[in-house]
Amino acid sequence: MNQACAPTQCPEAAEAQLLPAELGALYAAHSRAIYYLALRFLGDSHKAEDATHDVFLKALRHLNQFRGEASARTWLYRIAINHCKNMRAAWHDRHVLPSSESEVFERLPGGDSPLRILETKELGGRIQKALDGLKAEYRLLLLLVSDQELSYDQAGALTGQTADAVRGKLFRARKAFADLFQKTG
Amino acid sequence: MKQHNKFSTGRHQEQTAESQTAHMGAREFQSVEDLLRHDAAQTAVPPEIARRLRQSIAQSAPPRRPWWRKLMG
Repeated sequence: MNQACAPTQCPEAAEAQLLPAELGALYAAHSRAIYYLALRFLGDSHKAEDATHDVFLKALRHLNQFRGEASARTWLYRIAINHCKNMRAAWHDRHVLPSSESEVFERLPGGDSPLRILETKELGGRIQKALDGLKAEYRLLLLLVSDQELSYDQAGALTGQTADAVRGKLFRARKAFADLFQKTG
Repeated sequence: MKQHNKFSTGRHQEQTAESQTAHMGAREFQSVEDLLRHDAAQTAVPPEIARRLRQSIAQSAPPRRPWWRKLMG
C-alpha cells in the first residue's frame, strides 16, 4: 500500500501537483499513508484531515532538518505519531473518556485463523471499532507494520522499542484485533 | 449483513439478501495486516487537505518585497 502513483490513478497525486515542488513530491508519495494512520489512530475523519494537514505543513517548515538519514516515510510517520498523540492527549484532557472498549467486548477464542468476511460498506467501521478497542500501543503497531514500506526495525524505532519487542506485542495485538473484529460482525 | 435480519423477514427479502451477499462475495484475509492494507487502499485522501495546505502556505509566505526596495538593494 501507500506507493506513490500517477496523477491519473490517485487523486492525491493530482492535488500534489498544485503544491510547492518540495512538498508536492512528499505529499504524492506519502499522504495516503499518513492520512490512513491518522484516520485509524484517531478514529475521526475530521481530526485525521487536520492532523494530515498539520503534519505536511510541519514537514515543509522543517524540511532543512531532514537529512535523508531516515526514509522520508519514517520521518513523516515520526511527525504524525507525535502530532496524533498530542491531539489525543489534548482531547483526553477535555473529555472524560469511557473505559477501554476492550472491556466491553467479551473475549472470544481464536484469532489466528484467516479473517473471512463479507465486503460491505461497513468494513471500515468494523475495522475502526476493533482498533478502538485495542490499547493505543497495539493499534499504532498494527497500523505501522501494515505499511509494507516499514520494517519491524523501523516500527520499533518509531515506537521506542526493539524489533523483537515489536514482534512479541504484534502477536498479542493481532489476536486481540481478530477477537474484537469478530465481535463487530 | 446480519443474520437476524435475513431470517426475520419474508421470503422475498430473504432471497434479496442472499443475492446481495452472493454479489458482494466473501473475501478472506490471511492476516490483520492484509485487512488493514486493503482498508488503506480503499481509503481516499480528502482533496480538502491539499487545498488547505495551499492556503496555509500562501498565508505563511513572507511578504513580497516592494518594487522600490528591490531597486534600492
